[in-house]
Amino acid sequence: MALLLDITTTAALLFIVSAGLFVIFGVLKIINFAHAAWLTIGAYTTVVATRMGFSPWLSLPLAVFVGGLLGAATEIAIVRPLYRRSLDAILATWGLGVVIVQIITLTFGRDMQMPPALITGTVDVLGMPYSSYRLFLLVAAVIMGLAFVLVLERTRLGLNAQAVIMNETLARALGINTSQVRLVTFMLGSAIAALAGVLLTPLSSVDPTMGISWLIGAFMLVMVSGTSVAALALACLCFGAAQVLVSTWISPILGSVTVAVLCAVVLRLHPKGFARG
Amino acid sequence: MADRAHSLAVSDRMFTRHGTGLFLLGALALALVLLGPLFLDRFTQNVLTRSMIYAMMAITVDLLWGYTGILTFGQSAFFGAGAYATALILTHIGGGMQNFALALALSVILPMVLAALVGWLSFYHKSTPLYASVISLVVPIVLTQAIFAGGSFTGSSSGLVGYPVMKLGAANYFRLAGVALILFAALSWIIVRSDAGRVLVAIRDNPLRAAYLGIRTQKVQILLMTVLGGIAGLCGFLYANAGRIVAPEIAGFGFGTQMIVWTALGGRASIFGPALGAIGIDYLGAQLSGSMPYVWQLIIGVLFVAMILFVPRGLVGLLPRRKHSGAAPALVALPDQRQESGRDALLTVSGLRKAYGNFVVLDGIDLKVRPGELISVVGPNGAGKTTLLRCLSDGTETIEGNITVVDKDIAGRPPEDIVALGIGRKFQVASVFESMTVAECLRLARTTHERPSLWHRASTIELPSAALEILALTGLNKKLGEPVSGLSHGMRQSLELAMVVAMQPRLILLDEPTAGLTKAERTLIGEVLKRLTQNLGYAAILIEHDIDFVKEISQRLVVLHQGRLVMDGSVEEVVNSELVRSIYSGMAHD
Repeated sequence: MALLLDITTTAALLFIVSAGLFVIFGVLKIINFAHAAWLTIGAYTTVVATRMGFSPWLSLPLAVFVGGLLGAATEIAIVRPLYRRSLDAILATWGLGVVIVQIITLTFGRDMQMPPALITGTVDVLGMPYSSYRLFLLVAAVIMGLAFVLVLERTRLGLNAQAVIMNETLARALGINTSQVRLVTFMLGSAIAALAGVLLTPLSSVDPTMGISWLIGAFMLVMVSGTSVAALALACLCFGAAQVLVSTWISPILGSVTVAVLCAVVLRLHPKGFARG
Repeated sequence: MADRAHSLAVSDRMFTRHGTGLFLLGALALALVLLGPLFLDRFTQNVLTRSMIYAMMAITVDLLWGYTGILTFGQSAFFGAGAYATALILTHIGGGMQNFALALALSVILPMVLAALVGWLSFYHKSTPLYASVISLVVPIVLTQAIFAGGSFTGSSSGLVGYPVMKLGAANYFRLAGVALILFAALSWIIVRSDAGRVLVAIRDNPLRAAYLGIRTQKVQILLMTVLGGIAGLCGFLYANAGRIVAPEIAGFGFGTQMIVWTALGGRASIFGPALGAIGIDYLGAQLSGSMPYVWQLIIGVLFVAMILFVPRGLVGLLPRRKHSGAAPALVALPDQRQESGRDALLTVSGLRKAYGNFVVLDGIDLKVRPGELISVVGPNGAGKTTLLRCLSDGTETIEGNITVVDKDIAGRPPEDIVALGIGRKFQVASVFESMTVAECLRLARTTHERPSLWHRASTIELPSAALEILALTGLNKKLGEPVSGLSHGMRQSLELAMVVAMQPRLILLDEPTAGLTKAERTLIGEVLKRLTQNLGYAAILIEHDIDFVKEISQRLVVLHQGRLVMDGSVEEVVNSELVRSIYSGMAHD
């Protein structure tokens, strides 16, 4: 039972961490290497908010705001000029990540920060105590997933985004402002990533390089899932389960690379990954 | 033997052409590294030894990324594997001549095996460059975790230190690293300038066209990665001996990305840029990072982003660019060769059906093409003509039905295998190599006929006379030394056509080869195609909209309409049929 809870909450965590990257990859077709930096920034907004005496809950909207703003700036200054050189765009976002991490280091120092957690304590699940924060993550992931589907299916932005995902040239020809869609998507993706950073704080150490350890798993999950939310959820569940099982029964060190290795092999053998069609 | 003398003569000329200047530069560098220890203090010697090893790594990254277009973050893994192989043997088995030799061998072989595996994982038909990049990220991370998991055997997070090393002394390690760097740089420089080096750039510029020229792109990529993995391992061996310490970071992704920074800042695709970038940044870093570690990293990060954005060619790109030097190679006509004609069908298509989901593009296609036939496929837009050509030239397309070329089923065969069976394809939109000259494109088209040399550029290109005629038609034969990027649309079309003919395929697939050409050029190309098929026994399938042109040169017409083959007959028969008239009168208006 504890194992099952671990699996679902790990999957939820993976989903939350990958979500921002997934949004950007779906529409812009680039892997945003600054993703790790967004996660770190999100986590540090909690540090800043709580240092100033606010509730850690306030850091959620704050992170969304900061992430969105930085996302917009990045899209305009770095990603847009490199639209036709996608590998260079990836490199530039990675360089940006390095810059942000160094700025954070210069501002806050290298040391680990310990902001207060959003939720503490445990609840009983079928008579067994379990971290209430991990359960909260599960709820958060489900809400996030549902929000994705709603935005994609029910809003104009979602429809436009779907059009761009399917055929950007055609979408542009149909009068959709694709560069606006790209901008908004990048903002959203960055905001979600920063939000994920806040949600990570009670589970992960908060230091300037914290994002890196989450990066590769998120990359691989997004590559495997392509552009389908359902595929991402499924991939998180499968590979999250593998990670938990390997960590529990073999070695936590190997567990940390399970997701990446399995995804790589899956993609090699079945290049379409978990995405249909 | 004559061949050898010839190649020597060419390389002689190459040296005079590219100037004794570079030769002198090499000699000067050699003198510097040999005499350097007399002037430099020990600390500087040690730092520069490391920098020069890193410079070799930067060159491997440059060959992969700058020249071949494989953005890799994983060269550190092979470096780390070589270094750890060395340190592990020396730690656990001990020093001594024999063990040094064993360490040297393993530090090359182990990374090569690893690199071959990574290559297999990264490069397959229809794999994307992004996928290869992400795989290259996974490799160092997995290796680092494996080192952490190795406990006291691998020294875990603190690494290995205090093992016996080759006792050369700091000065000699400096010289060894310097000489190795100069040799490797010179070798790389010769190779990237050779005909084989052009194959790498072809894969970077246009992997699809390269595959359709019969170049086994994935094989080349895997081979390159394997060889450079071995070189990286060798660098690791040197590093482990000179530095006397190995730590997990040297196998990690951080180090792998640093190499990208050196390469990008120095100037990708230039050999010297990345080497100097590595030495400069690593040396400066060693001087400055003690006093201001984060600021230094910050500066490098900002520079890197700015460079990618504004000067993608790196610092070397700021230097004035040399013109394509030297005379263009001469074209030599091959004697006309009749294709074997004693067979019934070259190509047999039976019951071909192709659908994307519920959308059926082609259905129930049966077609036979015999040697010497020129068949035109006509039909309105969206009838499935281009899809038909794609299915004939790429066996990995999922289809129903059978396609056989010279009695071999092409199912599952990637384009380069089908080229080997004798099919050449010209794309609808001219697909050539943007960064190359006309002559280089033509040479690449002959790759499967003449193995390109690793050492020099041949001074002549042998082409079948039909290809020469096509070149002469549009005046391309006078523009051999000019870059493709400056050619007009029509010239690109005829260049690609000449490239396809230069491959001497049994069956040529032509997708609107004369679009963008003048009426006169069109007629001339028609003559060439007629001669190729009627006199020399080639077969051709042609997609064309210009019905007059089609009538002029074809022996048979095939009509596609809404994915079905509605007619297949002589020109007379088809042109005069009611059915075709009704389809065509519809088409005339859209």
